Amino acid sequence: MKAKGAFLPDIVAFCCAQSAYQAADTAGSMRITYPENIRVIRVPCAGRVDVLHILRAFEKGADGVLVLGCHEEACRHLSGNIRAKNRVQRVNTLLQEVGIDGKRVEMFTLAPNQGSRFARIANEVNERIKELGPSPVKSGA
Amino acid sequence: MIVAERKPLEDIREMIAGYKKILIVGCGTCVTICWAGGEKEVAVLSSQLRLASKKDGNELEILEATIERQCEKELVEALKDKVQQVEAVLSMGCGAGVQPIAEIFPDMPVYPALNTTFVGMPEGEGVWVETCRACGDCFLDKTGGICPIVRCAKGLLNGPCGGTNNGKCEIDSEKDCAWTLIYRRLEQQGRLDAMRKYYPPRNFQAVIRPGKVETLPA
Amino acid sequence: MDNGLKLGVFLCDCGGTLSKVTDFSAIKAKLQKLSDVTYVGISHDLCLKRAQQAMQKDIKDKGINRVVVAACSPELHENDFMNVVQSAGVNRHLLSMANIREQCFWAHPDKGKAAKKAMTQIGMAINRARFLEPVEQTQISVNKDVLVIGGGITGIQAAIELSNLNLKTTLVEKEATLGGKLNRFANLYPVQVSPEEVLATKLKQVAESQNIYVLTSAELIDVSGEVGNFSARIKRGNGEFVRNFGAIIFATGYTTQFSSQIYGLELSNNIITQSQLEEMLKSSSEVKQIPKSVCFVTDISDEHSRVSPLSALRNALGIKEKFRGEVCVLCQNLKVDGAGLEKLYRDCRNKGVLFIKFDNSPRISKQDGKIKIEVEDVLMSGEQVTLPCDLLVVEETSVPPLDSKVLGSTLYMGLDAQGFYQENNVHLYPTASNREGIFFAGNCHADLDLMQALTDASNVALSAYQLLAQGKIAVEAEKVMVDPNKCRFCLTCIRACPHHAIQEAKVNHEKMVAQIADLACQGCGICAVVCPAKAIKPKDWSDEQILAEFELLGEYV
Repeated sequence: MKAKGAFLPDIVAFCCAQSAYQAADTAGSMRITYPENIRVIRVPCAGRVDVLHILRAFEKGADGVLVLGCHEEACRHLSGNIRAKNRVQRVNTLLQEVGIDGKRVEMFTLAPNQGSRFARIANEVNERIKELGPSPVKSGA
Repeated sequence: MIVAERKPLEDIREMIAGYKKILIVGCGTCVTICWAGGEKEVAVLSSQLRLASKKDGNELEILEATIERQCEKELVEALKDKVQQVEAVLSMGCGAGVQPIAEIFPDMPVYPALNTTFVGMPEGEGVWVETCRACGDCFLDKTGGICPIVRCAKGLLNGPCGGTNNGKCEIDSEKDCAWTLIYRRLEQQGRLDAMRKYYPPRNFQAVIRPGKVETLPA
Repeated sequence: MDNGLKLGVFLCDCGGTLSKVTDFSAIKAKLQKLSDVTYVGISHDLCLKRAQQAMQKDIKDKGINRVVVAACSPELHENDFMNVVQSAGVNRHLLSMANIREQCFWAHPDKGKAAKKAMTQIGMAINRARFLEPVEQTQISVNKDVLVIGGGITGIQAAIELSNLNLKTTLVEKEATLGGKLNRFANLYPVQVSPEEVLATKLKQVAESQNIYVLTSAELIDVSGEVGNFSARIKRGNGEFVRNFGAIIFATGYTTQFSSQIYGLELSNNIITQSQLEEMLKSSSEVKQIPKSVCFVTDISDEHSRVSPLSALRNALGIKEKFRGEVCVLCQNLKVDGAGLEKLYRDCRNKGVLFIKFDNSPRISKQDGKIKIEVEDVLMSGEQVTLPCDLLVVEETSVPPLDSKVLGSTLYMGLDAQGFYQENNVHLYPTASNREGIFFAGNCHADLDLMQALTDASNVALSAYQLLAQGKIAVEAEKVMVDPNKCRFCLTCIRACPHHAIQEAKVNHEKMVAQIADLACQGCGICAVVCPAKAIKPKDWSDEQILAEFELLGEYV
């Protein structure tokens, strides 16, 4: 068994192409680093992220999932970010039912120029997931 | 439409405990429309069950299928190939959907994943309300198309109770008083006279249960 | 197993800079071993034409049918690469990108970790590429006529600009005459031209234009159809008729309202609103009693409005010029911005208008028919000042016209907290509504002064021109697609679509299903998620593509 310090969580970050994805680009452009184990998946709007996508990420061994969208009232598709927020809440409950800590899924909002915020979120979430340990579903966990 | 909601995962897991391969069957009609048992919810439940069994180290393989209507035997028969591969079937149809599956495949344990709640309609996004009690003796002609049997907490037939409160119900101040709605509707139609008529207590057994409707073949 | 996939991976080391931190030939060697990968190339400058020509040739020569580019962020050059793919004879949507610059080598200084992540990212892009689907480009012909709702100065200006761009425009005004607020303003300071002159010039242009059709005393009732082919139901007198348009511009302006609650005051003969004062200033007949001292109060009910402090300044100067006398403006911050407004403020001061700043709202009372105002002057360290005056002019808040709400909901347009029309995105698309082909101009969606409203009108005219001028719009056919066999017609997507792009349609003239209007769809994918039957697929962002990015992972790392 690996020591807890060596645990490198698998984190899937669904990023809205209008904001969070560009914020990740900004972080890179500013050479602000963040944990490399955050796997960014570009989506056209946070509203495209389905409850099923998140559940499947856990099935495939993710330890945590992030949904990153635009700030409230700044969604190009009006309600996409609000819908994403509600879905994250639903996944929290669905995971809790399964016996997986709902806190493993979080939603944040950011603007394209918030590179440092992106890095901060990535760092904080990485630390939180490390605290929680590997997902109980993960094979070999 | 028939409105249903999913049972808690814990209950569902208890039903299927011990099976290694199951089939989850969705229904493409009412329960799809009320977001309880369509293809999407089948996938969500199936993902949840896989996660839970993986977590507990149990082996569980899940097949998924969604058919047009579970309440039609011919349509249920199409599931034959898949049913033959599994040890149990989990139906995401209403109660009227679970039973034909159980009947067509009498050797197969069939379990309900939903609780069938009522006959109703959507009120807002993701919200459904009961609008018909399926009492078998429709009263709507007398009440301007608003059913007091289901929408009045007390099912009153002759005007509101003493608890009507500025158009709201005394049982739940969020809910409209059905008889206030009825009064307004009849007023709008110039049919307030209908309010004066007295209706004796109803026969609550208008339908002998289990209900059966027989018509001559067309 | 031959699945027909021929993947071509194009790596770019960004002018050699990325090669310094990682070994591209090692990446290439690893990628070449992967199944279905037909070709792996390394370039130094894929963003340049020369390299793109080479890329195009490689795609053609090697028979590549799925293209993976590992380079900078797709936000930068995705469209360029799509063009390259298209010019190589492959559908432009069969491209998948790995962002190995911004989101890898630039973000992770640890070379080993970055190299590993780059490999993962390319693997993700390759997996996604396996599920890409072609989307065909087509063109839809559109009606080039534009409907402008609201015959105020913004609507008039939009109509004139559209007609100059040779688009036929119908200008609908609910009042009997055009001009809106301009008919009521006494002056347009800081603009030196009078409202009558401005209006006369504009109306002359309208009258002389062959392209503008004016409908006064008319109202828009309902709109059906989509961008390029809207049908508008218009009511005029007792009659109703339907006309077709390609785009609709809302320039319905604002109305004003005095809130006696906030002031604790009722209007009377010597307490009047800005609009009543305008009437007085505009009236050519002699004013019976010339007010010797006039006070304006602003910044009480709405400190953020541009309309209220601006009218205080304009009218303070107007009074000075027409009646002379004492004029005092009580304000908090008097926030005005815009060209010429600082000068307007100075003109007021030079003409002797007194400005008193307050933090606590002034107390206003009536004494012997005169008005007494007590206020603590901030600039005099809060010293109590008492001002008697003959006439008190109170501010009004700007509110949306009464019918905005109804029109907003019949046309599925969003309203902001005050009830004005809500733009799609204040920063990125400041005149676009949530629906394609419907635009907002002027004060119906933003708090603007005259010059800004005119600029807004020009912007909107250009947007409409850009959309319609060709008479046809390029569109990606069925980029989001409803499977009619799976659709249960539950209306969920129709209700959820933020752009009102989904409507009912009949398949084979029989079964009702949801259908997405390609022109109106903005590709957010919300419908695909809310569909309880999983009947909707956004071809560029399908479930398979999204899931492939993490589901097939592991083998590349």
